[in-house]
Amino acid sequence: MAKRVNLTEGSLTILHDISLTINRGESVAIVGASGSGKSTLLSLLAGLDQPTAGEVYLAGQPLHQLSEDQRAAVRASQVGFVFQSFLLLPALTALENVTLPAELAGDRRARSRGLELLALVGLSERADFYPSQLSGGEQQRVAIARAFITRPAILFADEPSANLDAVTGQRIEDLLFELNQQQGTTLVLVTHSDALAKRCQRQLKMQAGRFITEEQ
Amino acid sequence: MATAIAWRLFWRELKRGELWVIAFALFLAVFSVVSLSGITQSVKSALEQRSAHFIAADRVLGSSQPFDEQIFALAAESGIASARQMQFDSMLFSSAQMQLSTVKAVSNSYPLRGDLILQRSDNLLTGEAGELVPGTIWLEPRLFDLLQVEVGQSLELGNTQLLVGGVIVNEPDAPLSVFGGNPRAIMHIDDVAASGIVQPGSRISYRYLFAGSNSELDAFSQAVTPLLTVHQRWRDRDRQSALGSALDRAERFLLLAGLLGIVLAACAAAVAASRYSQRHSQAVAIIKALGATTQQVRVIYFGHLLLVVLFSLVLGLAVGQVALTGAELGIKHYVGDFRPEFSWRPLWLGALTCVLCALLFAARPLLRLTVTPAIQVLKQPLQQMTIDRLQLLTGAAAVFGLMWLFAGDWFISLGLFLICAVFVAILLGGAMLLVKAAKPVAAGQSSAGKLALANLRRRLWANSFQLITFTLALFLALLLYFVRAELIGQWQQQIPPGAPNHFLVNVSEAQRSTLADFAAEHQLQTDTFYPVVRGRLVQLNDEVFREEATKEDRSEQRTGIGRELNLTWLTELPPANKVIAGTWFGSDATAEVSVEQELVERLGLKLGDTLHFSIGGQAVTAQLTSIRQVDWNSLQPNFYMILSPDLLADFPASYITAFYLESERYQLVNQLSRLMPTVTVISVEAIIRQVQDIIAQVTLALSFILIIIALSAVLVLVAQVQATLEQREQELAILRTLGARYAFLRNALLLEFTFLGILAGIFATVLAEVLLLTLQQRLFELPFSPHYALWWLGPLAGAVIVSLLGWWQLRKLLRIPGAVLIRRVIQS
Repeated sequence: MAKRVNLTEGSLTILHDISLTINRGESVAIVGASGSGKSTLLSLLAGLDQPTAGEVYLAGQPLHQLSEDQRAAVRASQVGFVFQSFLLLPALTALENVTLPAELAGDRRARSRGLELLALVGLSERADFYPSQLSGGEQQRVAIARAFITRPAILFADEPSANLDAVTGQRIEDLLFELNQQQGTTLVLVTHSDALAKRCQRQLKMQAGRFITEEQ
Repeated sequence: MATAIAWRLFWRELKRGELWVIAFALFLAVFSVVSLSGITQSVKSALEQRSAHFIAADRVLGSSQPFDEQIFALAAESGIASARQMQFDSMLFSSAQMQLSTVKAVSNSYPLRGDLILQRSDNLLTGEAGELVPGTIWLEPRLFDLLQVEVGQSLELGNTQLLVGGVIVNEPDAPLSVFGGNPRAIMHIDDVAASGIVQPGSRISYRYLFAGSNSELDAFSQAVTPLLTVHQRWRDRDRQSALGSALDRAERFLLLAGLLGIVLAACAAAVAASRYSQRHSQAVAIIKALGATTQQVRVIYFGHLLLVVLFSLVLGLAVGQVALTGAELGIKHYVGDFRPEFSWRPLWLGALTCVLCALLFAARPLLRLTVTPAIQVLKQPLQQMTIDRLQLLTGAAAVFGLMWLFAGDWFISLGLFLICAVFVAILLGGAMLLVKAAKPVAAGQSSAGKLALANLRRRLWANSFQLITFTLALFLALLLYFVRAELIGQWQQQIPPGAPNHFLVNVSEAQRSTLADFAAEHQLQTDTFYPVVRGRLVQLNDEVFREEATKEDRSEQRTGIGRELNLTWLTELPPANKVIAGTWFGSDATAEVSVEQELVERLGLKLGDTLHFSIGGQAVTAQLTSIRQVDWNSLQPNFYMILSPDLLADFPASYITAFYLESERYQLVNQLSRLMPTVTVISVEAIIRQVQDIIAQVTLALSFILIIIALSAVLVLVAQVQATLEQREQELAILRTLGARYAFLRNALLLEFTFLGILAGIFATVLAEVLLLTLQQRLFELPFSPHYALWWLGPLAGAVIVSLLGWWQLRKLLRIPGAVLIRRVIQS
């Protein structure tokens, strides 16, 4: 697949003929410098955006042929996200942030599952706290719990520890891998960090919109 | 599930203060509409109720035929109070004298509005209160002298004898004519039959008086009107009177003020909605990334809008109603017997305004919000508030819709809308020119002033909308303040302190010197003596009018022919008169006449026509050489026909004059009546006092509206500054990181808002002056006179208000430690 964007100065190709297969249960790290196209690739893989050319299949669904709402439905049932800047809704409590994807999917047991997950990430006592009352590490743990609430087949994590100090970042990474293992989720991780990438089964290195190396 | 999320998010956003601005803007719209519309209606209704005193009822049906009982039955069925009144001219005979008088016979329930005050005495200053009962007759003071009669003696009227009960102190619907007419008496309607006055062909005027609520009366008059014969006619309140004119002017102005308030509230709603949408684009992207469809997002965010609308609506209606009740209490203070009437109009108008504002101002930004793509989750949120064309279009449509809804008049709405559109276009052009002008000045950022200018330039460019709303808010406040002052000044000028409040009619040539001595003795300043000669218009060019038209063909005859006219001769054009066609005759003119404009239209006259009069049996011919417009509100003696002195100077004339008398020296009127019993003294003190009371009431209402407009203006300013908070937060974080000190940032901020305020103040001043001068010429018909105070007040008020508001809202932001600010910006 490829991704080009049209700017006033002309057309800019962000991804050049990328070809990639990720198997169920696999953990894959996409590494590269800023501007190498990692986040764009993640957005295409997760169905947040459409490729300019090529095809993207997620759990057998042709994302490139689906409308925004159809892709949303695929995300709701198959995908979990963990973002670099946590992206919690400030108006909702920790528990409500966790249960939001399940509620959108119409799951009536969202609350009990949310509480379970909050307990798993060690935040049972913070269930009714708002994001502004939580530390960065706690917010990212809430985001991780949210990512797993719909029992997604695949989890996309975009620089999950980049906004945290080293110790907290390490804890978050541990938690992410631990839960991923427990739930048997496929993990696609975008990171600058080679150390974090090495914890994944495969590492794909990107530069200027292309894969330059792949390590197992 | 999405509705549950919408409900939960709504309450949280409300608690977090996220929705307050939009909720408050909508609340303000509803509140302004409910209170303004309600208060306008109340003031109008108070004024109408006040003016109802002048006709002793809310509605009057006049007839030349005897009462139709079916109409009274219909009124009783509709729950409407009614009274009867008959009026006729008849001779009253005492044992010593006789006098032609105008007798009014009324039923027990008269008057339905206002007070009939009778006193058991022959003068106005003493005596107990009396009551009109069958068998009695009550007289105007001068009748006691004219008839040489005392209280308790009997008078003969037709075939009946009536006992003199006393003096009429106040007759609510007494005619206010400086030509007076016959002295007046009041009797009970039950005595009319015995008098035998009512004969076939007798000239009797019958009046049906009705009182009730407006809605009942409207329904009743609709039911009755089809039953009316050609002899029956609804008599409207006298729109030509000073009072009617003041009413019209007040109504027009209150309407205009109401419209301005709505435009401001609409601006606040638009700004708040845009800001809300801009702040929530990231949240929508998150929700969508987590799997929500556009439909679900719409349910959530339009659910918010619906809840905000309901919340603001209920609150706005409730608080508006409270304000209305307060205003009604205030009005009661002036109009003791004011009866507030509940009306649904302000409520549905408020509700419709809220829904319209929400749909046309807030729905578009929300719609844009809901189509935020999920990919936005990985992008930096946009800090700039943007407005698309469709939003401008829907906003403009909303403004127009609201104007029409509130004014109920296409012409006014369209005119005002076009003026607003031109203003916005001028402001946009002005803002862009200034951006260019500010560029070289703002180069470099070594001082707070330069940073302020740079910020101003950048924000002006990105957000000229802000300058427009600041300008609009200031402009409206300034406009209202000055229009209010102008209007009040004009009203007060209409009845300046010391204006003549008593007219003397029927003064003979011989009495002029007696009157002059009396005036000198009591230090009274008498006005000009206007000579009056009674005459009849008998021929126009070659067309001869019949002396007295018969009933059958009266309708074919020109209105106003056949009646005696009060003619005068003057060499100078009277003060409240303006020649609109032809030329005013000089002192050496011969055989010329000047006619009032309305009479010209009624009689179908044109310049050059020859008018033939019959005066005391002699024929007088004059050529129409000028047509005059007369200000009937001037409370000065005014004449329909003024002839050149050569025509009338030799006829015996009576005179009219006027003087001012303080209320504490009222007994002089009695002395004067005794001294000259044939002279009629007409006091317009009561009407002057009523007009002055109305001015006080309207002034109060205007002050209230000014406060609401000022409040709306402040809220628009607040909403605007709030809309830039995130962007400012980010800039401050950067500047703090770069080492900018508190004092530097504070000065830059204050200067930025001061510049902006001055700019908005100058724009507002120019626009306000243009509109004020237009209103001055067109609406108030005043001579051209610029408002010098506006030119310093506008920019000064702009600078002070805008900088204080900016400072008030952003001072907390400035005090946040740099590290906290940076963390907040990163987190958001």
